[in-house]
Amino acid sequence: MCDNNSCGSARPNMKPVYPKADKYPEFAKLVDEEKSQVDRRVFTDEEVYQAELKQIFARAWLFLAHDSQIPNPGDFIRTSMGEDDIIVVRQRDKSVGAFINSCPHRGNRVCHVDSGKKSRGFICNYHGWSFGIDGGLRGTDGGVYDKDETFEKSEIGLPPVAQVQSYKGLIFGAFDPEAPSLEEFLGDFTFYLDIMLDNDQGGTEFIGGAIKSEISCNWKFPAENFVGDILHASWTHQSGAQAILGGGVDLGKRYDELAFQASIYGHGIESNLDKVGNTRTLGYPDLVDYVFDLSEKAKDRLGEVRARAIGAVSSSNVFPNFSFLPGQNTFRVWHPRGPDKIELVVWTIVNKNAPDHIKEQYRKGVMMTFSPGGVFEMDDGENWEYSTKVNEGYMTRQQPLHYALGVGTLDEERDLPGIVHKGSKNEANQRLFYSRWAEFMKYDNWDDLQNSKVTLPQNKKQQWSD
Amino acid sequence: MTILDIAVPFSNFSDYADALTERLLTQRLFAEARILDKEGYEEWLADFIDEKIQYWMPDMETRRRDDVRGTFCYGEAAYFDDSIKELTIRVKRYNEPSAWADNPATRHVHLISNIEVFNTEIANHYAVCSVFENIRNRNMADQDVIHGRREDIWKLENGVFKLVIRRIFIVQNVLLSKNLNTFL
Repeated sequence: MCDNNSCGSARPNMKPVYPKADKYPEFAKLVDEEKSQVDRRVFTDEEVYQAELKQIFARAWLFLAHDSQIPNPGDFIRTSMGEDDIIVVRQRDKSVGAFINSCPHRGNRVCHVDSGKKSRGFICNYHGWSFGIDGGLRGTDGGVYDKDETFEKSEIGLPPVAQVQSYKGLIFGAFDPEAPSLEEFLGDFTFYLDIMLDNDQGGTEFIGGAIKSEISCNWKFPAENFVGDILHASWTHQSGAQAILGGGVDLGKRYDELAFQASIYGHGIESNLDKVGNTRTLGYPDLVDYVFDLSEKAKDRLGEVRARAIGAVSSSNVFPNFSFLPGQNTFRVWHPRGPDKIELVVWTIVNKNAPDHIKEQYRKGVMMTFSPGGVFEMDDGENWEYSTKVNEGYMTRQQPLHYALGVGTLDEERDLPGIVHKGSKNEANQRLFYSRWAEFMKYDNWDDLQNSKVTLPQNKKQQWSD
Repeated sequence: MTILDIAVPFSNFSDYADALTERLLTQRLFAEARILDKEGYEEWLADFIDEKIQYWMPDMETRRRDDVRGTFCYGEAAYFDDSIKELTIRVKRYNEPSAWADNPATRHVHLISNIEVFNTEIANHYAVCSVFENIRNRNMADQDVIHGRREDIWKLENGVFKLVIRRIFIVQNVLLSKNLNTFL
């Protein structure tokens, strides 16, 4: 920089920057689809992790908030997209804006709280640059810049998340201006999201507050766990099930006939369609009654199959890192914080029209089961931590990991959307999750991503199950 | 009675309990910590916890000073909001041989300090303020530390002090631990 007349004559270009994706074919090969195995470097390697932030978290639609958390103009919450700090704020026209929480002057955070109500804007503590809820610069302390003719404040603002859209109350954001619409990204997986989001007239809401905790694990271990790992439940969670139910985890009497896994673009759900197996683990008989009644009523809205799924033993993950448990009504995001750390944020979802005592029992039930002191979640964290940490051993991380349970169980007859596999005790959804991960590494464009021969459902002869 | 409303944190107490009561309740807190350190959870439930217990540890949000909601609120997300029913279920899990996060055993220390004991508007009910440091170590370098404040109501009945209300306010916004396999 200099002070003579030729320097500083061009003004800063403060337009937000949305970098193009790249191609990482070598990283994609870490997922071996033919052999159903995954190289442990996907969980440990810093370069792979940086590629994930660029290829996945800077492109995919990521969960931001539930409508009910920010009902009024100026209401906001702070969250993350990958490691990026994000403000999600309701606009005056009731739309939702999302912005990178970093002042364009020196980069300091402009919002330091978890949430707020009816805010008029955000002010940076460093030099007093202030921004409206639309992210635009409103002024600076003392107005010094405002009097400077090289300062064109209309060009300056908090960098916006390129796209913000919602699906039945859930608000998502994508940094990539080229990303297809949220509904295209979700594809037919909305069929399964509706089990939770549309089983009752009036829609859903989140109960206030969120439990946040740090787990020293790679973000993909919990994501793959929720996408299709009921296998761990009977072993890892034996103690929790004994404490609440006085017996093991029960997948229902009609397991062989009903249980399935379904995957669409790497999003996945496994369910046993046993009606109330998950709800029962919350420990409140009133809740079980509520779900039985709801299930009957919901047949009109959702049909027989999905009505059986509302409270069933099941789990789900929306690619990449947004998970939920039907029946137990916990929604959560596993925010990456490096290859070996996550911040877990947990909410409880309820139907708006549910009676107050039912909402209260869901709140308490999630706290009892799927929160850091919960009788189920308590035993998950350590598994994921040591699945990650043990790879510090040079020789250990050369060893492949086995993902082959249920190879050959593709179900082409079942009348359900997605790539469907028989039985919930299967690793098909996990394989397809890693296939999707590999596609994000391999492809630099959405055309290839959305027309994948592996993770797009109409192509049922995918390699995993042949 | 306000002091038995779990949703209403203590306001200023000024009526200190007499020296003997203070000594007995201080001993009681230390004994409780010793039982929790040795994972004597059934003994803790039986000997220290009143059947009407309200045991609450809210989620601590980071909010601006002018946010009328404050940093926590009863009825929102919490780590614990337990009656005797929920506490009993948690203790049952600890006693299962397949409670993997507790087998091998966790090594615990509960440090209790800043104890103040007050008389309240209800006879034989005492308000007790304290702070704690909880250290858990399981495996090699695997160590978790939590600090916080507690607001208790202890009831004296048949010569025994039992815990009726406990509010636990930790200082962490994000729990810096993979789990919370202890009571505080």
